[in-house]
Amino acid sequence: MVLATATRPQAASTPPAPPRRRSRRSPGRRQEGLAGYVFLSPWLIGLMAVTAFPVLFSLYLSFTNYDILSSWDMLEWVGTANYEKIFTTDPIFWKSVRVTLTYALIAIPLKLTASLGVALLLNRERRGIGLFRSAFYLPSLLGGSVALALVWVAIFNGEGSFNSFLSLFGIQGEPWINDPDWALGTLMVLSVWQFGGPMVIFLAGLKQVPTELYEAASVDGASRVRQFFHVTLPMLSPVIFFNLVLETIHGFQGFTSAYVISNGSGGPVYSTKIYTLMIYDKGFTDFQMGYASALAWIFLIAIGLITVVFFSTGRFWVHYSDGGDS
Amino acid sequence: MHPATPAPAGTPAQHHGSLPAGGWNRRHLLRTLAGAALAVPAAGLLAACGDDEPATDPNAPVNISFFWWGGESRAKLTEQALKLYTAKNPRVTITPTWQAFTGYYDKLATIAAGGNAPDIFQLDDNGLAEYAGRNVTLDLSKYTGNGKIDVSKHPESLTKYGQLGGKQVAIATGENTPAIVYDKTALTALGLELPQIGWTYEQTITWAAGVSAKKPGYYGMMDPSSDYKALWLWLRSQGKEFYDGPKLAFTEADLTGWFKLWVDARAKGATPPADIVHEAVDGSVTKQLVVTGKAAVSFMWSNQLSEMQKATKADLGMTAYPGDPKGQWARASTYWAGSRTTKSPDVVADIINFLVNDVEAGKVLGVDRGLPNNLDVRKAVSDGLTDQKMKDTVAFENEITPKFGPAPAPPPKGHSGLRNTLRDIAETVTYAKQTPEAAAKQFFTEAAAKLA
Repeated sequence: MVLATATRPQAASTPPAPPRRRSRRSPGRRQEGLAGYVFLSPWLIGLMAVTAFPVLFSLYLSFTNYDILSSWDMLEWVGTANYEKIFTTDPIFWKSVRVTLTYALIAIPLKLTASLGVALLLNRERRGIGLFRSAFYLPSLLGGSVALALVWVAIFNGEGSFNSFLSLFGIQGEPWINDPDWALGTLMVLSVWQFGGPMVIFLAGLKQVPTELYEAASVDGASRVRQFFHVTLPMLSPVIFFNLVLETIHGFQGFTSAYVISNGSGGPVYSTKIYTLMIYDKGFTDFQMGYASALAWIFLIAIGLITVVFFSTGRFWVHYSDGGDS
Repeated sequence: MHPATPAPAGTPAQHHGSLPAGGWNRRHLLRTLAGAALAVPAAGLLAACGDDEPATDPNAPVNISFFWWGGESRAKLTEQALKLYTAKNPRVTITPTWQAFTGYYDKLATIAAGGNAPDIFQLDDNGLAEYAGRNVTLDLSKYTGNGKIDVSKHPESLTKYGQLGGKQVAIATGENTPAIVYDKTALTALGLELPQIGWTYEQTITWAAGVSAKKPGYYGMMDPSSDYKALWLWLRSQGKEFYDGPKLAFTEADLTGWFKLWVDARAKGATPPADIVHEAVDGSVTKQLVVTGKAAVSFMWSNQLSEMQKATKADLGMTAYPGDPKGQWARASTYWAGSRTTKSPDVVADIINFLVNDVEAGKVLGVDRGLPNNLDVRKAVSDGLTDQKMKDTVAFENEITPKFGPAPAPPPKGHSGLRNTLRDIAETVTYAKQTPEAAAKQFFTEAAAKLA
């Protein structure tokens, strides 16, 4: 990712530069391009074999009754039956969509806000700041690990350490992960807690904001708050955009924590039955792998659409200060 | 850290064991690719494809992969028994793999889909029809027919319980019965009587309410409304049945009645609040309320007593589920099944035969997978037991066996999914998110899709 370093903060109002013309390639360059592909070929072949082919194969399976165990000649083409069932009769599908959207709509903005906030705090040159940066990144090193989810279970069950902590103040805690109204919230907290990844990227973005801008702004008498909204945020918007897209995709794909915390059930009362968990259930418990593939494809298309929406609205708020053809 | 593009199958990577492989042929290739398409990183698959073994030479070395679920202690016993076999049959090497129940079937399904099902694997009622019905299992009829797997000393009901569509698809590892486990220490301290075989549900609930009343914060019994085996026995004790072939044999009204029974029990204070019930709902031994000291009664299997006892200081006792014991039947705790694609079916049959019929092996295995089904082995094992709780298990089985009713057919395909459906829907009632009537209705809607 290229971070902009131009110096005009009002660049948003600059008229966009005319699109660059593509120069026609000379035969020599074409040869070079070919050589490039040849060198890329091990990777390309790998990509085709382990990514592209399985992806497309699962599209095919989504139109079949594939059940993972039966022998291959039992496979039947069922047309769009799986998709029809999902949208018309599946009682879990809409529940799961609701849970997933709730999770994504709350957890993703919270995580981005938290990571930006911490990045701002860590963007000062103090003694020992490196230590703090590492410390705040630490939870993310544990990734979506099973161990971490188990720790969460230990903290947030009825007699978990969080409730013991609350009881020091005379507060009677909820049973958190065992309460349908709180379980999803507990998952969100876990996701927000792992803000290290986007934080590091924000931090890098903040470092790229030229200090002259702040100097100029303070000469003009802008307060810290104004500086944040009028200098930091616009200059950071490409980074915010990048993090938003990645965290959205990542957020929708969450699986491990929900699986471990609910013991695979998505419970209590479907409250943590996020979409990926439903796909997993269908494929590996009900052995309806064709159906699960259809669910996965709907998911892929939905995430794709959301990403497209992000990209198409990006031009209104993402500001590339090199004045480039964003 | 983040995948740059969303993976279409949102399932996590499955661990791909080193269970041995078939050779490459077209079908394997297709299956393998299909497995990769679904979830599996391809590296493990490619690595798993080994050389062809010569299958004809009777003295050629044979390697058998062997897969089961269970805890640490079961693993020790099983490995020990397998060593006994390989000591007698030096040309056979066995590669045992085991893991906890959670995730076992996911892994088994994934490796079976890759065409690499383990040569011998453990199944239970939930998996039997799923795997046998889809022709993953080796047909053992030939071996039970010619005596290579000797079932002459097994109770007929247990042997039949491993038959599906006229084929012997698996051999029971032992006999097992649903049983309630109670906290003898706590009940004695409270001066209450201990539950008995033959108590009705009403009796048990009233008694449990009495337990809760005596000790604030402690509850009489677990709420088993989400437990399919409790529902099944409740239905059978009224002369009804859970399945009729591949269909449900009970009605929406029956299920409404079942949910209501437990709503009332909670109202009376017999069972704990929903969040405490939820903690124990996954069935794992260490989370049971008897073990965690939150309730006096847990709904379990008779072979789990010894393992539960190891997890708590309280002295545990065991008796039958409430209701007429004629609702109970001689059930297989788990089964040994072979893989249809195994290269050495004769060795597979021989190992299974050894595990279920050899006295020495039986003594090693004890009653960990239920009471041995070979009656001679059962006697030898019972006489030699040292673990008090295993002795209790045997005593319980001996007490209840004469009271058994006839065995139903093993559950149909779709059962394992339906179990989860019951669990999820029963919870909507426990958490008071839905009325018993609405929950029963939802169950029947979902069941239609799962059993189809």
